[in-house]
Amino acid sequence: MRGPNNAASSSTSKGGGAMAAFKQDLLRNLLLGLRARTAEAACPFDAMSLQERKRAVKCSADVAMAAAAPRRASATGGRARWPKAILAAAAAASSSSHSPSGTCKVRKSACKCKRVARRRVDAKRIRGYAAASCDVARRLVRRRTMALRKVIPGGNAAMDDAALLRETMDYVVHLRAQVDVLRRISAAVQISTSLRDPSQSMAQL
Amino acid sequence: MSSRRSRASVSEEEINELISRLQTLLPSARRRVGREASTTKLLKETCSYIKSLHREVDNLSDRLSDLMATMDHNSPGAEIIRSLLR
Repeated sequence: MRGPNNAASSSTSKGGGAMAAFKQDLLRNLLLGLRARTAEAACPFDAMSLQERKRAVKCSADVAMAAAAPRRASATGGRARWPKAILAAAAAASSSSHSPSGTCKVRKSACKCKRVARRRVDAKRIRGYAAASCDVARRLVRRRTMALRKVIPGGNAAMDDAALLRETMDYVVHLRAQVDVLRRISAAVQISTSLRDPSQSMAQL
Repeated sequence: MSSRRSRASVSEEEINELISRLQTLLPSARRRVGREASTTKLLKETCSYIKSLHREVDNLSDRLSDLMATMDHNSPGAEIIRSLLR
């Protein structure tokens, strides 16, 4: 890949090489996925509603990321779980097609759970002030760990905290790469649309 | 009992090591060189970082879908994207 692609991956010891391949696979998957979506669907891209289009792009980006994830051992020391979780969720979403209200409901109930949990933590903190501080700390770590599980795809599956942390690291690294690829695509599409209008590109120069 | 404790302490070491490795991934890693943050703070920061990355993906996807709507998608546009990013 041309240009500096090490910004997102410089902090990992794996080096830019592995992430460059992942980004290329992600890009290819994304383009193929978007093309497939518009080809097989009854409605082409332009005919989709704004919401449908946005959802399609977002879903394609996640599926592309999950499909491009390396199969070999990475940060997890084995196979990461989050790609499968993303693909499973996408498959479930596409089988129950057109359920935006469903996802909204899921998000609302998740918010409610968070609110209830926070209240419980505060109550316990007040009561447990006299109790051993490590006990309270352990409970707070538990809450944070549970919150982390909700954010990592597949995090709710049975795995110990060490495995969860490894999943988190692997997921964060790949998520950053996904953001990088999407940024570059947006910039490139912007350039390509301005290139087709020569007067515009001259103005930019 | 002692064997159980030693087993627990080994996994705690492992968790601490994983937490410090996770810390290097977070954006605040540069600011916090040498200073150790508590586990709960790091976990909380990790959650917010992942959520902000999700938001960024959402925003970029939205922008991309808007851009693609205005471009001819079975066109040289896609070719240009691929060549620019190779």
